[in-house]
Amino acid sequence: MLLIDPVRMLPNLLVPLVGVLFVGGFSSRSYVWAAVGVVGTVVFALIRWATLTYEIVGDRLEITRSLVSRSVRTIPLERIRGVDVSIPPLHRLLGLAVLKIDTGASGGEEEGKLDGITLEEAERLKAALLRRATAARIEAAAGAAAAGAPHETAHPEAVEAAGAHVTAERTIISVPRRWLLYGPLSGAYLFTPFALAGGAIGLAFQWGDQFGLGREAAWTVGEWLWDHPYLVLVAVLLLVLAMPFVGAVMYAVFHWNFRLKERDGYLVAERGLINRRSVSLESRRVRGYEIVDAPAERWAGVVRVWAIVTGLGDSSTRGQLLPDVPRAVALQITADAIGPFRAELRPHPPVARRRRLFRAVFPWLALFAVAALSGLATRTPPWWILAVLALLLAGLGVPLGADRYRSLGHGYDGVRLSVRSGSLRRAQAVVERRAVVGWRLRQTWFQRRAGVYTLTAGVGAGQGGYTAIDVSPGQATGFPAEVTPDWLAPFVEDAPTQPRSL
Amino acid sequence: MTSTGSLRDPAHRVSPKAVKLWLFEALIGFLVLVGGSVLLAAWVGESGWSWVPGWFAERPWVLPAAMGVLLTPFLVAEPFVRYAVHRWELSGDVVYARTGFLTREWVFVPVSRIQTVDKAQGWMERLLGLATLEIRTASHAGSSTIKGLDYEVAAGLAEQLARRAEELRDDAT
Repeated sequence: MLLIDPVRMLPNLLVPLVGVLFVGGFSSRSYVWAAVGVVGTVVFALIRWATLTYEIVGDRLEITRSLVSRSVRTIPLERIRGVDVSIPPLHRLLGLAVLKIDTGASGGEEEGKLDGITLEEAERLKAALLRRATAARIEAAAGAAAAGAPHETAHPEAVEAAGAHVTAERTIISVPRRWLLYGPLSGAYLFTPFALAGGAIGLAFQWGDQFGLGREAAWTVGEWLWDHPYLVLVAVLLLVLAMPFVGAVMYAVFHWNFRLKERDGYLVAERGLINRRSVSLESRRVRGYEIVDAPAERWAGVVRVWAIVTGLGDSSTRGQLLPDVPRAVALQITADAIGPFRAELRPHPPVARRRRLFRAVFPWLALFAVAALSGLATRTPPWWILAVLALLLAGLGVPLGADRYRSLGHGYDGVRLSVRSGSLRRAQAVVERRAVVGWRLRQTWFQRRAGVYTLTAGVGAGQGGYTAIDVSPGQATGFPAEVTPDWLAPFVEDAPTQPRSL
Repeated sequence: MTSTGSLRDPAHRVSPKAVKLWLFEALIGFLVLVGGSVLLAAWVGESGWSWVPGWFAERPWVLPAAMGVLLTPFLVAEPFVRYAVHRWELSGDVVYARTGFLTREWVFVPVSRIQTVDKAQGWMERLLGLATLEIRTASHAGSSTIKGLDYEVAAGLAEQLARRAEELRDDAT
């Protein structure tokens, strides 16, 4: 146990070590320096490891570092919103884990982190922290209620269940391996081959320098490649062909054995092959979910799902509830774990279609016009190439704009409201009514001429607001009035006229 | 849909002194843009680059002049349009505010969801006896900023909102 931390740090040392050896040449002196570096780091790591202690004291967790100066980080248990346990590869070899404590604080500085504790200890501590955090909150809530404060508890049944210290764990879904094949459809990791190739070329240059192959060698290689353009073409073609495969592998590595569980009033998502990651989201703080798909995913009928949680930093990576799974499965699981959305989305007025098409096509047409005119004036081929490209993109804008219009929609089923937009990344947000903290209507000069509004429901979770684009005047006041009738009633006149524009 | 009625205007205008504030701010923006185009014109005019047309190199002052002519209507109109548009109201424990110039915004913030109420004063606002009320909820989209209120009005409204928010506190978010 004592040796684990320094051993873990050795790989970090490897790069500077190799650097020292190369820069200083392989002389006895540089070996000495390297040895000093290794020993120093190991000693530093040992001291750091030995001086870090943590303890649950009453209703708070104290993490004490006493290396040179003494620092105590105190985290009140009631503020703990989630505990992540992740296992990077080296940790896994040594049976270790990293435990991160999410307190909903905005800065990463204020979060607690215990690096290099054993896996059992991490699991034990996680269970203890979450149980006690829930208990502390119940006490606080009970105290407030006893004091006569008008305190509304959002989910009485959830608090009761947690209060009974139920440690039952239920696996909501364990994503089958064959669904990993859907991964490349999302478009994520597709450009990895190019990134890898770029990295390799960069490395080759660096190492080439070290071995005395300077610029001249690089020029020679460059000229040689210029003389053999087919080789470059073949290389690029190979990289393009590798895109789906490498993308699939990366996706599988990150989403291996994706499991969504329910435990102690928390939703726990586990995933990953090499670096296994487990994220706990407090069910009480989950306000809804966002269903996301790209065109290829729509074609295959699969979606990805993120949770909309209050006070969750870095929610794009941590809030993921489901990787690519068939739509029906996703809907069933979100309905089961968070809540269903049982209404149809209403379409937006036809003028919205015109606006989507215009916005998808016009910029490219404008570029085409500029490029074509410049081409006519200067008679140089690059302008013509640009003009053709712009015309192609303008053509693609037609189906894109039409699809963006088809995506638009909003609805309310009495408990949750939902808005949807986007095409290349279509996202449908489903949010509980009680999470809405306000409404914002917006109208640009162009929208005023078209007679449409952009309606945003302010939500104290996730992105902070979810937007219905280009709704009609009737929908702009009708939808908020339907979801939160009390709020708009004082300001709506019954006369069925168009809203005054000023 | 439960209601297809139309929105009425919020009841209260902001302080008439806000026109001066907006005029001042518009003037700063105007000077920055025109000044910037003077510098740009001088730089491009003297550079002697081949792609600069001859008529422009001879008369570089055309750019700032055109900028000034284009922007002047906006400079003159903005304070008065804003004074006509910017309105606010507190009814039924909901703050309703309208703002904007070329782009209009209507914001509804229920007092029960308010987390903080701040009143702020820049130096120009202090000179004019104005204040800006910032009403914050857990979401930026559900937050409202009302500019150009008389200081007493802003202070009274802030006090009233803070007290009422305390009474209505709703922890759902």
